[in-house]
Formats: sequence, structure tokens, C-alpha cells
Amino acid sequence: MTAASLAVWWDEAADGPTNMATDERLAEEADRRGGPAIRFYGWSSPTVSLGGFQPLAEATACSAIAGLPLVRRPSGGGAIIHGSDLTYAAAVPKSHPWGARPQAFYDALHAAMVEVLATWGLEARLHVPSASDPPADAFLCFSRRAPGDLVAARPGQAPTPSDPKIMGSAQRRLGTTVIQHGSLLLGRCLAVGPEARHDGLTELSCAAATLPREIASRWIDRLAGGLGVDITPHGRAFAVGHEQEIARAAERFRDDRWTGRR
Amino acid sequence: MAAEMKFAKSHEWIRPEENGLATVGISSYAVEALTDLVFMQLPPVGKKVKAGESIGEIESVKAVSDLYAPVSGEIVEVNAALPNQLETLGTDPYGAGWIVRIKPDDPSEMDSLLDRAAYEAQIAS
Repeated sequence: MTAASLAVWWDEAADGPTNMATDERLAEEADRRGGPAIRFYGWSSPTVSLGGFQPLAEATACSAIAGLPLVRRPSGGGAIIHGSDLTYAAAVPKSHPWGARPQAFYDALHAAMVEVLATWGLEARLHVPSASDPPADAFLCFSRRAPGDLVAARPGQAPTPSDPKIMGSAQRRLGTTVIQHGSLLLGRCLAVGPEARHDGLTELSCAAATLPREIASRWIDRLAGGLGVDITPHGRAFAVGHEQEIARAAERFRDDRWTGRR
Repeated sequence: MAAEMKFAKSHEWIRPEENGLATVGISSYAVEALTDLVFMQLPPVGKKVKAGESIGEIESVKAVSDLYAPVSGEIVEVNAALPNQLETLGTDPYGAGWIVRIKPDDPSEMDSLLDRAAYEAQIAS
């Protein structure tokens, strides 16, 4: 247990490089505070974020996402199409119980979302691997299944191994902090080709699909409750006061050498 | 674990060799914590690093983690076969799963690292 509060920021939409640079700054902030920090944010246009080491060639070969801006995350996992999702970045210092055991960090955030979605009647669950799982290295995050991913049964149907994945997260473990990127799929993203559209809360008839801010609020309430800490909400965007620093850092994420590192 | 092996808090091990070089890898605890390794990026031979600087990255199914230099020096050899057989990190983390060989700038820098008992105490806490 730690006394440090859970710091929360609600940010406006930004482009991919700016969002990635801001998340790196969030990790520094978590380290400085000695406690967890979360920010929720949007994207200035539908964007594909590639996992840290996904081959760029897989993105260029995916015709369904052609024309969309591309940014490479520092975190692992598969490519995410941002445009109809609730995106978050959470950071925690390694001195924190979540940071010392990153899998516990991952599990805590997903388990809390299961509880939140249950308040809207959606029976989500943490995925348990099965023989019928799609390939673990599928290009798109929501085409993959990994232990702990959030999946949910279709309305009126019993759970099956092929239930849609509605939330995925991935981490970057730095020297003194762990940062976790994640995405809750609110509905199909119509900015991409049909083969890259995945069912989200809308297609599962979950009323929360149009209430991402309410989902996030209930989620952080549960996270803070689980940690036994208060929430420190911030009325300003996280980037305020750090604009130049973030703009400089964003250049790395715009650089073709970063995007094409593999 | 060999007796002369030292450990960094960030879970790298380092073992001095008779030729003045030191071999570096990651502990079995770190390998187990990473789970399901899928990709590794090694540093270029000749790279000069300071203690605590990244010497590579390793990706598991859900995370990318940095590998850190336990001491300052020059990377003189990398285990080029390792990225294609990452399972070796799990089966022989202190032998065939070595990652780089480094020529330390100052071998006494290893004295400040954790010995086996101190490292095991750290991971047990």
C-alpha cells in the first residue's frame, strides 16, 4: 500500500507523436510523484499505433489501414487502430507495488474494467488461453488473444473462446518506471477496411459505448479504491507547462528511423 | 550461479572472464518475470556504454523492456544467435543465454554491484 494518490488527467486529442511523447513525460511524472498517474486522451484523426517491435512491413502490407497516420509506440503488443476507442496511458514507479510486479499492474487495471463494465450489465472477463486462440503474433492487437485480455460474450449468448476482445494493454518497462498503454474498444472503427474492424461495446449492445468519460471515471474510482488511495484530478491538460519539452520529444516519434526501426 | 557473478538491481548479471572481459546476461528471475519472449534487439559491437545505459531491448507478448549495462565499457561481442533462440534465456540464462561481452572501463566498478546473496534478498523482498 502506498500513500501517493492516483493522479488523473483528461487530455484533448493530439497526433500520434505528441501523444507518445506526452506519455513518456507521464512516466517521468509518476517517478517524480512516487505514485501512479493516468491520462486519458484522444487522437486528432484515426491513427494506427504500432507495437514497439512490430515490423513496419506488416503495416504497409495491411491494405485495410492504408492512408492512416502511423506512429510506433514504445510499448509492446500489436497494432491498435485508434478512432473509436478509449485510450489511456498509466505510469507507475517501480517502487510502487504495481511497478514492482508489472503483471499485477496489468491485471489490476483489466480486472477493474471487468467490474466497471458489469455495472452496465456487460459480462466481460479476462481471457484464458485456449487451443482455438488466433495467432499470438497477429498484426492487429484486437485480432490477438493473450492471457488477461478483456473479452466479452455477445448479447444473449454464452461465453465462447471466440468472443470479441474489447480491451488490450501493453507495457514499456523502463529503468525506474513502468508505463502501460491500453485501449478499450467502444465500437467498430469505420475509418479502416472491413477486415480491420473489430466489434466493441456498441456491437455488444453495451450502453456505456457512448459514455467513455463515465467509464473512465468509474474505472479510476475502482483503481483508487483497490489501492486505498485518493484521486488527484487535474483540471488542465497534462501537457500544460511542458509543451516545448513534449514538442521536442515528439520529433523522435515522427522520425522515420523510429517508425522504421524494424 | 557462479560465485564471482555480480548482479545489477535491474536484473542483469555480469561475470568477469580471465581475458579481462566480462560477460553479461539477465537473471533467471528476470526471464521468468518477462514471460513469453518474442523479440530481442542487441547493441552493435563497438558501442561504448555507461553503467545504467540501455544495451538492448527485449520484447515479451505484452511488454518491451530495456537491458542495462551493469558497468561502463565497450561492447566487444554479442550473442548473435540469441535473438533467434530466445528460449535459451530460459533454459540456460547463466551460460548459453549470455547476451554481450563487455570490456569494462574500470573493473572495480563491479565491486559496487550486488553479490548473489544480496540479489536474492532483493528479489525476495
